[in-house]
Amino acid sequence: MTAGHGIFFDGAVSARQEAKIALGDTALHVTNPDGRLLAEWPFGEIEEVAAPDGVLRLARRNSGLLARLEIRDAALATAIDERAEAVDRSGSIHRRQRASVIAWSVAATVSLVLLGYYGVPALAERLAPLVPPEVERRLGAAVDMQVRGMLDKNNLGEGFECGARPGEPPGKAAFEKMFGRLERAAALPVPLRPSVIRREEANAIALPGGRIYVFEGLIAKAENPDEVAGVIAHELGHVANRDNTTTLLQGAGLSLLFGMVLGDFVGGGAVVLAARTLLQLSYSRDVELGADRYAARLMDKAGGEVRALGTMLERIGGATEPGAKILLDHPETKARVAAINAVAPKGTPVPFLDAAEWAAMRRICGGR
Amino acid sequence: MNGASPPAAAAHVRFLGSRRAYWRLQLRGAFLLLVTLGIYRFWLATDIRRFLWSNTEVAGDTLEYYGTPLELLVGFLFAIAILIPIYSLFFLAALDLGVIGQFSGLIAFVSLFWLGQYAVFRARRYRLTRTIYRGIRFHQSGAPWRYAFRATAWWGLTFLTLGLAYPFQIASLERYKLRNTHYGDLSGRFEGTGWRLFLRGLPLWLAVIIPIGLALGSLIATINFTVLGDALAENADDILSRLAPASPGLAIAVVFALAMVLVAFLFGLILYPLFQALLVRWWSSGLRFGALAVVSRLRTGQVYGAYARFIAWALLFCIALGLLIAPTMFAVDYITTRIGASPVMRELLGTAALLGGYVFAALGFSTIYRSTVIFSLWQLGMNALELSDTSQLETVKAAGTPSSAIGEGLADALHVGGL
Ligand SMILES: [Zn+2]
Repeated sequence: MTAGHGIFFDGAVSARQEAKIALGDTALHVTNPDGRLLAEWPFGEIEEVAAPDGVLRLARRNSGLLARLEIRDAALATAIDERAEAVDRSGSIHRRQRASVIAWSVAATVSLVLLGYYGVPALAERLAPLVPPEVERRLGAAVDMQVRGMLDKNNLGEGFECGARPGEPPGKAAFEKMFGRLERAAALPVPLRPSVIRREEANAIALPGGRIYVFEGLIAKAENPDEVAGVIAHELGHVANRDNTTTLLQGAGLSLLFGMVLGDFVGGGAVVLAARTLLQLSYSRDVELGADRYAARLMDKAGGEVRALGTMLERIGGATEPGAKILLDHPETKARVAAINAVAPKGTPVPFLDAAEWAAMRRICGGR
Repeated sequence: MNGASPPAAAAHVRFLGSRRAYWRLQLRGAFLLLVTLGIYRFWLATDIRRFLWSNTEVAGDTLEYYGTPLELLVGFLFAIAILIPIYSLFFLAALDLGVIGQFSGLIAFVSLFWLGQYAVFRARRYRLTRTIYRGIRFHQSGAPWRYAFRATAWWGLTFLTLGLAYPFQIASLERYKLRNTHYGDLSGRFEGTGWRLFLRGLPLWLAVIIPIGLALGSLIATINFTVLGDALAENADDILSRLAPASPGLAIAVVFALAMVLVAFLFGLILYPLFQALLVRWWSSGLRFGALAVVSRLRTGQVYGAYARFIAWALLFCIALGLLIAPTMFAVDYITTRIGASPVMRELLGTAALLGGYVFAALGFSTIYRSTVIFSLWQLGMNALELSDTSQLETVKAAGTPSSAIGEGLADALHVGGL
């Protein structure tokens, strides 16, 4: 069958035109009932556009006009399908395209997840040194305000930091002596502001911009001054490695990747949250191992007991950091301790504090 | 033989699409969204629009959606490139310890809202310029930023008046949108008035607001404010235990208030389809293109039917989920004990199973909603339309150029997208 009827819209005016269609050797001819030529479309330039079931709607590619030809005659439609490459009545081209889209989408998803796993932390590590110290200082001040608000439950303000109340200054002096020795050995380019705060958890945190908080619970749990020094050295490792800024950049990268590009469908929020948590856990493991390595070397350089951080970690179950630790269970602590102990000390350790100073430091928060 | 084309059915709009085909489209889409973590959404949106447009017949001829998924994808990538510096700026502003930092949250919210409205208008332009009818495309004039200011101000007013300004907002915004909507050289306009919608919607608004007002009133009448003020000033932890003895009848007032809030919620739920029906009728009947006027004969009962269909399918899906949960949990438990998983591994597998279940359920309900309520509203809304004078539609001349999909991308990234 090489001829039939259809409806033609010329793309210039919305008038509906009854049309005669004839299939030539290389082109489709559209004429009006009087025989005037309305259009001549080469088969190679014909494309099929969206239409309801039972209608074949054709357009001419790259013509600049939106001329349309509608055919309801199934036999004629089949005849055009046979001649025009891009017309796809059986849907096989469409199915092939769909399959390749799905394959590419899955490949893109996998590569984006891999980018999240390898690329984002690597990129954040490269970018962190580029963040100006001024931005980091401001960031530190903002984070400090939030952290203080969260930790200082009783609104003690200045008094939240130990060392100013009666009986506490000797402890503060001991703490400063210990910190000074570590700081000199570390020789970091940023000014540090350490303090002991009234919190019962065995923990310590380093904020961006050089603020370091040692919780009083940590001193209570320690059996000798070098264990406290070891944890402080670990926190100095975070400062030296700029881990806060790196973590922040990683978080931003993950938000971008998993908040905007991936996971934008109903129920996708949960998938995104799970993926982010897993990735962040894997990052934080590397970050902690890096800080441990730094701490061991720094303790050695400062002439302290390298293994003290390990014994402390074992006692408090590896939970030096707040946050998710379900997955960072005991095997993790064992690995961390083993890594610390792998650093061979160069000399005989000299304790950070003598017995009297250590006793004073244990009373830095009122000696409870 | 001239039977190749049926005579143009004048003065009617018909929807030809089958619900079964739409279900198939949505189900396949849901599965592919899951597998591709959402990247498939550009293709799904295009498929859905092609289906809905192609099956909508106006005065004997069907619409055509001419957009492609790749355009949407590229628009989205552009939008991300625009949004990254903006988000970074907001982040830096939040670090400022002065006035800017204090208000940075509010500033970010308002400007992102504005940007969202900007995106809505530009996305509408994309969709219109990809809509073809009788070989002529629609297009949209007007400045997106101007629409965005208008919409942001109106939404603020609607928020402050607890929704009372909403009819006037939507009338004003639709006037702007339709005034700037053109089919070839034929321009649209909107003749619906805010007052009309206001008067029809007022009883519904009162039905929800009065119980909430009663709840607040009963609480205000019973609470001893001097005691409350003192307790708040002292930042006390035991506000309630100090307040209760000083305010006789507080327990009854609280129970009454909770009951009233529940009543308001139930009224809202029951009346929502009614509101939707009158909104669709009001909006459709306000549409004009030149001399062409539109009237909607949508019946409220039909809209309730659409929601009833949703509830029925959702209940069935709930039952199916309930029947699936126990065997799944058993299977996960069996597998974990079988392979001798460590507690950490077991917790991980359990969480993964839970997550999978949640995503399955959420996608399921969303698919049911789209295939019942959204589909029915489109179908019913279109079938209920009557056109007054379609002779003008025969002589429209082509005008307008296709626009980029950046607006669609922005709307997608800011989660304000429509269909
Ligand atoms: Zn750490």
